[in-house]
Amino acid sequence: MKTDTPQVPRGEGLGRTIILTAITAVITAVMFSQGKIPQDPKGAIALILTFLFANTLFFLIIYTGKTDRYRAVYFSTFAVMLIVSFISHMLEARGSMSLSEAKVFQCEVPFCHLVIPMTLVPIALTKTIIFPGSLIGGYASIASMFVLWIGATLALGRGFCSWSCFYGGLDDGFSRVLKRPVIKKINPKWIYLPFAVLLFVALTAAAYLSPTYCIWFCPFKAVTEFNAVTSTEILIQTIIFVSLFIGLVIVLPVLTKRRTQCAFLCPFGAMQSLTNKINVFDVRIDKEKCVKCKRCIQVCPTLSMSEESLEQGRTRITCMKCGKCIDSCPKGAISYHIKGTDIPGKRNTYRLLFLFAAFLFLAIFSSHIIQDGIVRILKLVTTGSMIS
Amino acid sequence: MKGFFLGLSNGVTCVAYCTPVLIPYMLGEGKGVAQNFVTLMQFLLGRLAGYLCFAFITWLIGLSIFGGLGSKGLIIGILYIIFSCLMMVYAFFRIDVPCAARSIGYVARKIRVPLLIPVAAGLLSGIALCPPFLLAMTDAAGKGSLSYSLFFFFMFFIGTSVFFIPIPFVGALRRLQALQIVGKMAAGIVGLYYLYTGIMAVIAGAEGI
Repeated sequence: MKTDTPQVPRGEGLGRTIILTAITAVITAVMFSQGKIPQDPKGAIALILTFLFANTLFFLIIYTGKTDRYRAVYFSTFAVMLIVSFISHMLEARGSMSLSEAKVFQCEVPFCHLVIPMTLVPIALTKTIIFPGSLIGGYASIASMFVLWIGATLALGRGFCSWSCFYGGLDDGFSRVLKRPVIKKINPKWIYLPFAVLLFVALTAAAYLSPTYCIWFCPFKAVTEFNAVTSTEILIQTIIFVSLFIGLVIVLPVLTKRRTQCAFLCPFGAMQSLTNKINVFDVRIDKEKCVKCKRCIQVCPTLSMSEESLEQGRTRITCMKCGKCIDSCPKGAISYHIKGTDIPGKRNTYRLLFLFAAFLFLAIFSSHIIQDGIVRILKLVTTGSMIS
Repeated sequence: MKGFFLGLSNGVTCVAYCTPVLIPYMLGEGKGVAQNFVTLMQFLLGRLAGYLCFAFITWLIGLSIFGGLGSKGLIIGILYIIFSCLMMVYAFFRIDVPCAARSIGYVARKIRVPLLIPVAAGLLSGIALCPPFLLAMTDAAGKGSLSYSLFFFFMFFIGTSVFFIPIPFVGALRRLQALQIVGKMAAGIVGLYYLYTGIMAVIAGAEGI
């Protein structure tokens, strides 16, 4: 079916946009600065740039009515800055990105949210945290990541994967490199693979009391930290995670225009999909308005839209609430929605409520990482090195 | 009764080692709770057969079969490889629900798989995967009588089996048809993981001889 020319979704008026952005600006100013302007000029510049960057994007999201376009800019910047900041930090602390056995025994491995699915069963069964990280304090402690995860899950459900995950911006960014996909047809059955990986890692973590996914599969070790290659087994593990990074985070997103790592591998994403059931926000399709042009199916980065979705008026459980389908719908039939309310109902109000929750979470969660990344880049420009 | 209590005290570990096999299989089959209990019985029967078989061997030759560290790794590695092949054949070649990999689906139609997968899985997982089993074998090997060895392993089996009772209740989820695909895919990943484990154990075992 031939599609109509996409209509620009209606944003808010200029005055209303300014008022809404002002609210965000006050909150972000307080949270980014934590009540004080850095004395270091680089720190001050980083703070101002981050503040302007966040609030400009929020203004554009509200004013243009386009969610995904500007979210993706912030989200991908967050991912890149994490890499800059994390690697610099590791080089300062250890002199290398590789992880020595001594650091593992000293429980100094930074904890990330991808480990959470593997820790839950052992915690429940044995009251043991099977990760050699710091429980409280230190860099990326276990307790702080759990608190962030619980908060984001309650607020966003699987929206975490498009609004909070500091890795997701990588394949999201690469999926936007080409204008049209080279590989167009993907069997939708592959969307079940992350659930199988989740089942596998949760059960094997319980059996062997070791974070199987981190050891064997996590592609993001390629840009954060990894075990020093000291044995054949670690060499095999390294080949696997580097291959997964190149394949699922770079090459396939470019070729398919989908977030292939998030859609076809990530066990954390699978677990977050289940939390979509308890989250108050979802994405719904107004069946009255929908003309079944299937534009949303074509653009969804995680194959969460299908013809069945259009019939039922709702997305699959794997929806990340990125807003791409909403931006692309020519009839404005897709919108953010609060469970238990009418469809379409007050769609602009629902959108604003979701955006305040999601964008503020993203902005506050990312602010120090982005600021640190900017400081590192300024250091690189002025001194020739990103580390102290 | 020592075997029984040893089984009871190690049952959680036993279950933890067997659930990566049992749960993907049960989900993949998509059967109800009652039918899953039948599957569990088949699995446990296989495990019991493996235990008794080893009870006999333990009595016959004592610990000499595992006397050298290398030969132990070799035997367990080979069992892992057989076991992983079983899981992968189940996951990729016995397909009632369409698999995402279509080319595998074509091959699947050409191949018949052994019907008694749970029995074989129970037999192999009991022997190859279960660390408490090795503990029990060490204890039984120290005694001289066949009846003691058989009884010890039987009681050990009873003690550990108690912990398997909740597993068939995954059948309550069978109306979620997607879980069948998830179960098959997970069985395939488990198979690949054990294949790697087996190959590494064989290499290490061969070097150790």
